[in-house]
Order: sequence, then C-alpha cells, then structure tokens
Amino acid sequence: MTTTWPYLNVHQSRTHEPTPYEYKLAATLEEVFTKDGHELADVIRGLNARQVHAPDGAPWTEDSFRAEMHRLGA
Amino acid sequence: MTADHIYATGLRNQWHPVVPSSFVAPGAMRKVTALGEQWLLFRRSDGTLSMLADRCPHRGAPLSLGKHLGDRVACWYHGVEVEGDGTVSSVPGLPGCNLEGKKLVRSLPVREVGGAILAYFGDEQHPEPAELTLPEPLTEPGTDAILCYAEWEVPWRYAVENLLDPMHGAFLHHDSHTMYDGDTTAKFRIRETDRGYFFEKTDQRGVNFDWVELCHTGIDWVDLSIPYPPSAGPGGPFGIVGMVCPVDEQRCGVFFWRYRRVEGWQRDTWRFLYKTLIEERHWEVLEQDRVMLEAMPADADQRENLYQHDLGVVRLRRMYRAAAAEQASA
Ligand code: FES
Ligand SMILES: [Fe+2]
Repeated sequence: MTTTWPYLNVHQSRTHEPTPYEYKLAATLEEVFTKDGHELADVIRGLNARQVHAPDGAPWTEDSFRAEMHRLGA
Repeated sequence: MTADHIYATGLRNQWHPVVPSSFVAPGAMRKVTALGEQWLLFRRSDGTLSMLADRCPHRGAPLSLGKHLGDRVACWYHGVEVEGDGTVSSVPGLPGCNLEGKKLVRSLPVREVGGAILAYFGDEQHPEPAELTLPEPLTEPGTDAILCYAEWEVPWRYAVENLLDPMHGAFLHHDSHTMYDGDTTAKFRIRETDRGYFFEKTDQRGVNFDWVELCHTGIDWVDLSIPYPPSAGPGGPFGIVGMVCPVDEQRCGVFFWRYRRVEGWQRDTWRFLYKTLIEERHWEVLEQDRVMLEAMPADADQRENLYQHDLGVVRLRRMYRAAAAEQASA
C-alpha cells in the first residue's frame, strides 16, 4: 500500500492483471451486449456463435456462464 | 476557528470520508491529514479502527512515528503509550506518573462504509457524533457499488462544486465513453428536498449527466446518474455516490462509488467488465476533471461571471458559507 501523496491509481478493483482469456472474454461480451442483446440467452448464443468458449473449450451453457462470471466478477 | 478557516478546511460537526479502509491493514497504522489537521489511523489485528490526533500528549511528537503495540501505540520520543480511545495507558519513564489513565488525546468516532473510513469531526461544543444516514445506494440490497478513490491538488469545495455542475459533462467529458451524447444547451432548476436539493435539467433526462442531488445527512454526498452504452450490458445507467474529504486548504480526497442496480449474473458480469475494461475508461473521465480543477487559478471563485447553469454551485456556496459562519460564532 502506497503512502505517498497523491494516490492516483487507475486500477483499484482488480486483484490481478487480467489474463489474455479474460481480456478476450470481456471484449467479446461488450460486442455481444452491443449487437445481440442483454438477455442471458442472447449472451450465451452470442459467445458461442463467436467461438469464444470457456477455458475448458466447451461451449457455454447458462450454468457454466453464471459460474464463470461469479468466479471472475465476485 | 474563523469562518474562513472552516470554509477552507471543511465543515465541522459532521461526518467526512477520510481514506479507503484498505489503507489501514489489520495491525497497521497510517498517518493522514484531514480538515487541515494531522491524524493517526490505528487498526488492531481484530480490525477495530481508531482515529487519534497525531500528537503525543507528552510533548507533541507525532504518534504516527511511534510503534504499534497491538492495542495501543507507543510514542517513539519517550515511549508514552496511548490507547485507541486516547487514554494514556503508561508512561514507561516514570511509572505512576499522573498522565496515566487520563484521556489526553483526541479520538474521533469512526465508521466504515462501502470500503471507506468515515469519521465525525466535532468541535468542542459538539463532541458527540451527529446522526448519520448513509447513502441508500451503499446500503440497499440489489445495488452493487465499487469505490474509486483519488487524491487531488484541489480545494475540497471545488471538487464538490464540480459535481453540482452537471453541464460540464457535455463539454469536458464530450470525448468519453459515457458522456458524448445530449444537448450542449440546457435549462436547469433547483428542486429542494428535505435533505438538500436537486439541480437538474428541465429538458433532458437519462442522456448525459443531467441531474445531481446534494444530500446533507450527517455527511455530505451527491448522487447522480450517467447512462452506460449498451456494451456495459444489463442494469441500465450507473450511478455515482460522491463524497469529498477536505484534506487541507489546497488538497482533497475524492470518493466515487460507481453503483448499479444489478444482481446475480448481471452483477457479476458488470463487475468483471468493470475490472477488466470499464474501470480504466472511468478513470480517464475522472482525470479530465482532475486536470481541469488542478489548473484552476487560486482566485478562480473571486472573479467569475456566472450564468444560469451555475445556480447549483451558488446554492452550495451559500449553504457552506452560512454553516461556516454559524460554526465560527458558536
Ligand atoms: S513526546 Fe511522546 S513520549 Fe515524549
Ligand atoms: Fe466530471
């Protein structure tokens, strides 16, 4: 924890530098939200259509997406 | 204290934010400046936090140079030990000395909310903490808030005035991810509430930074809302609860909680996007404010030509001037 004035820290909510996988997933989510919609079904369809899969390579399901967002966003 | 000093260093007899909670780890201490005075934040390993005047009751050495002894701090100069409530527990050089057992160091009531330390700064006539009603977005279930804290070389009031000036959004932040849209002309009105006032556009809502509420609830804070682009996903606009810590006459700490009414996967997804991509964009917007405010001349508010968009600022100054005068004469 820095004690020098001024404290100007861009990233205050992160616990780590996002991995390439996290950056790609986030950028794709933004694209899906912009082009496909905001419902969970839109998101699953949009991610799978863009071949951006979970780390294990499997297509997303609602459950796996919820679990992954919980892990990454909680 | 004179009214000018109070106006310049922050109103007394109310709560103010000090620093983020994470600035004082369990078992650690931290020196801070707030309202123009030096303080020591002291946290026991069980998390209990105290805020003491940073001044040894013996001969005035800073306690922050001393040693954390678990439940008390020992001054480095001659070893006098002070507890979290300001009581001298021991004078090692002269056991039995009559300082022992006396509460000789000022200690402020503290609370921790939404990742920030709040403290009550009473004057001599008002040592008991004022009733504190916390901003609903920080306490309501179904609302998720993420704190952003920054330190600016700016008098505290300029930082608050900036928030009571929604029109700057359409100009200063025109090149940003959230405030590019909306009319660059507007009419405003003030709408009084029982805890402060709204300053709002009469002819546009939900497009840019179109309204702000000043709330005076034992602590001063503002609430406002800014639309997110569709890329931010479900949950609609994000709100900001803003507070300012008057550090001293020239500096302040700004606390912005970005909040959104999201739960479940929507909350998790917002937080994930926030950490990965959005926080940095928000930061760029905040830097536009900092650059502008830090560049304002020291006599900026002495030579102004105000117009209708500045009514929110005028109202704010009148309120703070009156409160400072009242506190000075009490
Ligand atoms: S000044 Fe602190 S012990 Fe003497
Ligand atoms: Fe701004």
